[in-house]
Amino acid sequence: MKIKKVILVLTDINDQDITQAAVQLCKRFKSKLFVLFVVETGRISRLARLTQKKSDTLRKKIEDEGWQLLYLIEDDADKAGIWTSLHLEDGIATTIVKKYIDAYGVDAVLIKRKNEATRLFVSSTVPVIGL
Amino acid sequence: MVLKISEFLRPEAIIMQMKSREKIAALKELVDNMVAHEAVENGEEFQKALAKRENLESTGIGDGIAIPHARTDAVKDLILAFARSAEGVDFSAIDGKPSHLIFLIASPINKKSEYIMALAKLSRLLRKQEVRQLLKKASNPEEVLNIIKKNEE
Repeated sequence: MKIKKVILVLTDINDQDITQAAVQLCKRFKSKLFVLFVVETGRISRLARLTQKKSDTLRKKIEDEGWQLLYLIEDDADKAGIWTSLHLEDGIATTIVKKYIDAYGVDAVLIKRKNEATRLFVSSTVPVIGL
Repeated sequence: MVLKISEFLRPEAIIMQMKSREKIAALKELVDNMVAHEAVENGEEFQKALAKRENLESTGIGDGIAIPHARTDAVKDLILAFARSAEGVDFSAIDGKPSHLIFLIASPINKKSEYIMALAKLSRLLRKQEVRQLLKKASNPEEVLNIIKKNEE
């Protein structure tokens, strides 16, 4: 079985717990790793309502955490000798992932098992692996 | 901890008109400039660390930007350098476009958290189109530094 290109989808700093498994999987299959952090616009609005904080403040915080997570993964992947490409986008995770699958010819999607994963399982044109 | 990118970028580490057109030559130009200004002790080792990273990932992040980076003990502290290229340098960016704004970041091996924070801050700053435009138009190193100071949060 060959998996040439994998995309790891992250939407939250708590997704950090699946990154080691993603790196190991890429090492095993000698896959290139695209790492995508999506700053979900809907989630920011919900958080702003819940916490009474400004959307802009929350967005900056999430974006900063997202970039930090991306570079931490890159550091781990680098040690494992895995090619990586980092991406951060605003929007809806499922829509953006589909765009990446088409644009870069990704063979498999890695995502934490939660709602986004369920939506991707039913609509993706490539295998989705829930970690 | 609040990290300010502008505190790590010195005017002498800024090249307003990069001569090199090719990635490895561009890295050498940046490193040589840092060695000349005593920001880096072992230029050869530093360049090797950067080249190793470049083989494993695309540091061209799109929108005409590249952020080559490495953790190496060839540097004593977190350092930044900047170069602007009118013609552009091919950093194998995912969007296929040449890089015109090139930021180099390096830190000693034991300063991982500062290094990650600096990379994150810089990436976030450079996502802003207005910042990219201002950096393209800046006329001298002091102006580059002021743009970063004003726009980093």
